[in-house]
Amino acid sequence: MADLQMRALDITKHFQGVAALTDVTLEVERGSIHGVVGPNGAGKTTLLNVMSGFLSPSQGVVELDGRDITRLTPQKRVPLGLTRTFQNLRLFGGLTVRENVLLGQHSHARTGFLSLWPLRTAGDKELDCEADHALESFGLTEYRSRPAATLPYGLQKQLEIARAVSAKPRLLLMDEPAAGMTAQERLDLVPRIRSLRDEGLTVVIVEHDMDVIATVCDVVTVLNFGRSLIEGTPADALSSAEVRTAYLGT
Amino acid sequence: MDAYTEAVVIRLGIAILLALGYWITAATGKFSFGHAAFMAIGAYTAAILTVNFEWSLATSMLISGLTAAVAGAFIGWIALRLSILYLAIITFAFAEIVKILLDSWDYVGGASGLFGMRGTTVELVAMCIGVVIVYLFFLARSRKGLSYEAIREDEQAARACGLGVTGISVEAFAVSAAITGVAGALSAHETLIITPSQFGAPQSLLIILFVVLGGVQYFWGAIVGAVVLTMLPIWFDFLDNYYQITYGLLFVVLMILRPQGIIGRSTERRFNLGALKKLASSRNGAGRDG
Ligand SMILES: Nc1ncnc2c1ncn2[C@@H]1O[C@H](COP(=O)(O)OP(=O)(O)O)[C@@H](O)[C@H]1O
Ligand SMILES: [Mg+2]
Repeated sequence: MADLQMRALDITKHFQGVAALTDVTLEVERGSIHGVVGPNGAGKTTLLNVMSGFLSPSQGVVELDGRDITRLTPQKRVPLGLTRTFQNLRLFGGLTVRENVLLGQHSHARTGFLSLWPLRTAGDKELDCEADHALESFGLTEYRSRPAATLPYGLQKQLEIARAVSAKPRLLLMDEPAAGMTAQERLDLVPRIRSLRDEGLTVVIVEHDMDVIATVCDVVTVLNFGRSLIEGTPADALSSAEVRTAYLGT
Repeated sequence: MDAYTEAVVIRLGIAILLALGYWITAATGKFSFGHAAFMAIGAYTAAILTVNFEWSLATSMLISGLTAAVAGAFIGWIALRLSILYLAIITFAFAEIVKILLDSWDYVGGASGLFGMRGTTVELVAMCIGVVIVYLFFLARSRKGLSYEAIREDEQAARACGLGVTGISVEAFAVSAAITGVAGALSAHETLIITPSQFGAPQSLLIILFVVLGGVQYFWGAIVGAVVLTMLPIWFDFLDNYYQITYGLLFVVLMILRPQGIIGRSTERRFNLGALKKLASSRNGAGRDG
């Protein structure tokens, strides 16, 4: 039987009476790359906000490893192994690239009440090394002292992933990682996501771009008008008649 | 040092202490509009202890700092989870309430205040500044200081990184209030007399201006702001009645030329439309794109 890592059950979310999500269920298997696709306004980001705790659902339950986390704030979900990236980058633009990565490690840094230890560059060798390693593996080492906002867009996207991964999550939620990327960056993204999975991460990708989803995902859930249309392998899901109408119809 | 110079140096030192204290909360992007209340709490606590109970000034200052920290933690805990517009309103109202309570409290002399406090010396003020600067030196290099900057930059991103935004801001706010309280105690024992009206909105505003003028990015910016704003009225004494308008004009020009303050990187825009928009939106709204 399937090993469920995360489950969003019968999620409904209203914004001032308008339903952005209606009874959506998403079951994420451990170790899978799970895609969520759908046209603009389908409710993908809303679903991801509910899963990461940035929005609380009007109805429904969010579970992580069988535990009900519906009422937990985003910052309390991070230590449980759940992190995310944002559709429109949310970096700390005025802080350096390395500082962004250090902040990603926050849930592992032991900063006590009123304590000024550890420092940014000393006091926790292990975390400092991990930060350098993350910079290295995302190709950011040479930019480490630059303010994040001064990086080209593609690198900023890499940095946001690096920051999320620095929390050592077991489940990573990515909102449109390919958006705004060049064709080459999109090509690089696919092996990057695969290698994250190979390192033991479960990945949920929300994507508008079908190509990325079709190549990288094991399972795809299609949303349209806030409802779940279909769930299955990329080949099955993306070729179904309903999905074609949903996409061609918008 | 003659008495006049000494008085000016002490006033300058207290202004620096106030600016550094305020900088700590400003570093998290949380602007209080009622920091004079923490000054009042510190001033009155210390004055009661030294005058009525004959405690030493040093001990009384410590208690002042603690009392102000508790008050700061309480107000922060209520207001820092709300949007920064509410924070402004609540801190402002808190300061007014403190003033009204002191005004009507006979034990501390009501509107005519307390008098007879003495003992603030240049050395004592310098020592306090020294302690605070050492603290800030390490804070600015610590991961904790980094989390302050992160909250100032983007609260949503900070939450996504697992930062307990409210808790961290409350801690910063309480430390800020503590330093402000100690500055209040020093100020009370310099001016000999304290009345509630000294701790009104103009005093709160002056503290904000120290930091806004100097820039929020580096703590020594706050020192520059405090020095400039304390010395300007003295230097521009010859302008007589015109000094306030000159002062105001200088400020406007500076805010246009260097919105990030005297000190601070020019890529930073502290006072822009984005900041105004942020003022009005609650931090719990994830926004359309999360
Ligand atoms: N914070 C919000 N307030 C009001 N309406 C929202 C909010 N967030 C999303 N919506 C609405 O919910 C629907 C789904 O939006 P979203 O989840 O962003 O779609 P997607 O990410 O699939 O493009 C849209 O109609 C959008 O206008
Ligand atoms: Mg979206």
